[in-house]
Amino acid sequence: MSVPHPYAAFVEHFFAAYNCPVLEKGSTHFTVQLTSEMDEEIMNRPFYWHYMKKMGREGEPMRLTFTQTDGSQKQGIYLHAGTPKLHALYQTAINKGKTARLYERIPPENAGHTAVSPWLVVNFLLHYRGKQARDEPLSIGLNLIHGTMMLKMMEKLEMVPFGNTVSDYTFPMTPVISLSNAYRRMEKHVETYISSQNNQWAVESHQHLQRETALLESFYASEDIDLESFTKERDQMDTRYKPCIKLEVVNGGLFYISQETSAPWIHQKSR
Amino acid sequence: MFTIHPDQTFIHSLSSHLDHSEHLASWEGFKLAYQAAQFKTVPEFGGLLALDHLPHVDFMDHQVEAAETVVHHMNGRAILADEVGLGKTLEAGLILKEYMIRGRAEKVLILTPASLVNQWIQELNEKFYIRAASPRKKQASWKEWDVAVTSIDMAKRDHHREEILSQEYDFIIIDEAHKLKNHQTKNYQFVQSLKKTYCLLLTATPIQNKLSDLFNLVSILKPGYLGNLTDFKKKYQKHAQEEEHIQHIHSLVGQLMIRNRRKDTGLDSSKRRVRNERLTFTNEEAELYQSLEQLKADHPSFTWLTLAKELCSSREACYMSLNQLKKKAPPEKQAVYDDFIEALGRLPHHIKAERMVDLIKEKDEKFIVFTEYRATQFYLQWYLQQHGITSVPFSGKFNKSKRDWMKQLFQNKAQVMVATEAGGEGINLQFCHHMINYDLPWNPMRLEQRIGRIHRFGQKYDVNIYNFAVENTIEDHIMHMLYEKIEVFKNAVGDLDHILEQIPGGTFEQQIQSIVKQSESQGEMDIKLKNLVSYVEHTVNERRESS
Repeated sequence: MSVPHPYAAFVEHFFAAYNCPVLEKGSTHFTVQLTSEMDEEIMNRPFYWHYMKKMGREGEPMRLTFTQTDGSQKQGIYLHAGTPKLHALYQTAINKGKTARLYERIPPENAGHTAVSPWLVVNFLLHYRGKQARDEPLSIGLNLIHGTMMLKMMEKLEMVPFGNTVSDYTFPMTPVISLSNAYRRMEKHVETYISSQNNQWAVESHQHLQRETALLESFYASEDIDLESFTKERDQMDTRYKPCIKLEVVNGGLFYISQETSAPWIHQKSR
Repeated sequence: MFTIHPDQTFIHSLSSHLDHSEHLASWEGFKLAYQAAQFKTVPEFGGLLALDHLPHVDFMDHQVEAAETVVHHMNGRAILADEVGLGKTLEAGLILKEYMIRGRAEKVLILTPASLVNQWIQELNEKFYIRAASPRKKQASWKEWDVAVTSIDMAKRDHHREEILSQEYDFIIIDEAHKLKNHQTKNYQFVQSLKKTYCLLLTATPIQNKLSDLFNLVSILKPGYLGNLTDFKKKYQKHAQEEEHIQHIHSLVGQLMIRNRRKDTGLDSSKRRVRNERLTFTNEEAELYQSLEQLKADHPSFTWLTLAKELCSSREACYMSLNQLKKKAPPEKQAVYDDFIEALGRLPHHIKAERMVDLIKEKDEKFIVFTEYRATQFYLQWYLQQHGITSVPFSGKFNKSKRDWMKQLFQNKAQVMVATEAGGEGINLQFCHHMINYDLPWNPMRLEQRIGRIHRFGQKYDVNIYNFAVENTIEDHIMHMLYEKIEVFKNAVGDLDHILEQIPGGTFEQQIQSIVKQSESQGEMDIKLKNLVSYVEHTVNERRESS
């Protein structure tokens, strides 16, 4: 058995989630049949679909073969970190999975009128931008009844089953804390988190910016450059070096989770 | 210390989506989006993420190093000045890709000679998965295009210029940037006024003529960095001999420039063998060559120089100039030229052309032949055809499709390509390993560019270079004085180009021109050329000893 290929696994999950069946599967490749909707979304052939619709015809969605090898063994889309099609799938996945309201699935025999409490789950991406760049993901959950905050939330939820509808014999509780309030608490937390981190990167960027600015100002003072290029250079120096952090939300949603599921995390946290 | 930009929209869209459940994702969909974002995350400040994204490209060590240095130490503004054939385009692509992955470059402009536009688009797409657009006819949408490739000439046209200048580009690449050496040209001013954050200048000959050219390139990247031009020139000319001062400039420039040399990369598996072929004029040719000296009396010496060089190339090239002179001359003086033209007509086939055919027949392999003159190009093609040898012409003036077509014909059908100087850039002919320099250019660096067409990555054989020169002519002098003595053929070019720029009182090329123009006799010319060359030799040796 080979080590599971991360990109291949992602692609298979992706098509399974969006109802595109796998037609053939080998050890290092697989072929999927796209649905019309998926074809329209990822294949970038708007004219074809426009024409088909105008003619009142169904159109023939494509099949895609993905491989884990560089095409020497099997023709198809070679999956690696930079595969353009893979990046198109990322974008589609992100667009389609932006928001959610999910209820923990609890089998009726275990339900017995269980209350499920609402959590706001938000997956942040922190973009550190200065002389250099890096990102940091931050997944946070906040209980909308008693305000407990959990970190690494997605890791905790990973194996929990969720559905789009309320499971039988369970009842969702009404949030006490509003969404916007909860979100504000998360932002506060992120700010605290950032300020507790080593900010060497920002110091370096800042120093670099100051050195470059001083140099540029001396050029201007000694009339080596005119005002126009001085202003232009000055502006773009900020773009290149000025440290800042952009907070981006990848996705987030309202999750209803039973106490049985959440108790161990909360317990572990308080220990 | 730094600002934090919050995400303004998310929580509002979540609230509104909760009321419209068709926008809500399933658990699988939610997890997939999260996972996709993890894959796209830039995990660390250092390193080159682009390498993982491009497993199908075999980058050389020096290319990876160059990219790392530019991204992490030069902060995205640099001159890439690797010697011809070391893959500057790959370096530039790798750097661009890295900035795109790190989310720092979305809006990109690539300026390149018109003949290279399609090659760039193709390479970006195939090697780097970057989709680029280029303007067709009058259609262009600079605002919408994220990555655009075009020529400067196209970009500065009225209906493009304003729109391009109004775009805020994150990343600009300028290929063949040595063409921007003159700060007074429209091209230079256009480039200077572009809005850019990161910028790469690509050139194989960073200091082609003067140190002030380099100054102008640096000014695009870092205005003011070397002071202003007037002061720079003053300082430089005054202290040119002071090693310390030169070192200072070099160390400044070194922070902005990457220059890999063949010998440092250790990838020079294919060797170049250079043979200088000295040919002897037939008596008739020699006689006519001598008689051209008469013209020196009542013509500027440059006229003689031109005609003499042309006669060393072909009767046809010389005829074209003589005919021009005749047309411009008053009627009573035209007879002089008629005599020469008649004498030209009586000459046998050119000695160099004969030697060329012998060589090609002897090797029976593909050859590229470079000449400086169009008339010679035509003549050689005709002459080859007479001997049953197939050939294709090549010139930098050809449009893109014609170039490609000629290259294809040369690769698959024809045995010989006859190229004029203008064809020196931007065509890669690794499948050929014989080159005849039918005429020699004044500037040794230009020869280097020619050789770079075949002696580059992908060349599997040793490369044979044949330099033709006719004995006891101006050509002989060029070869003897400039090429042999300066050892340009021994890959010393890396040292050479800055030395050639730093001769006090004018560049190498200017020096030669003025020596030839001002000398009264052959003897005087020889002595002056010798002096010039020994100055260069001296500087080269001195540098070697000190390093």
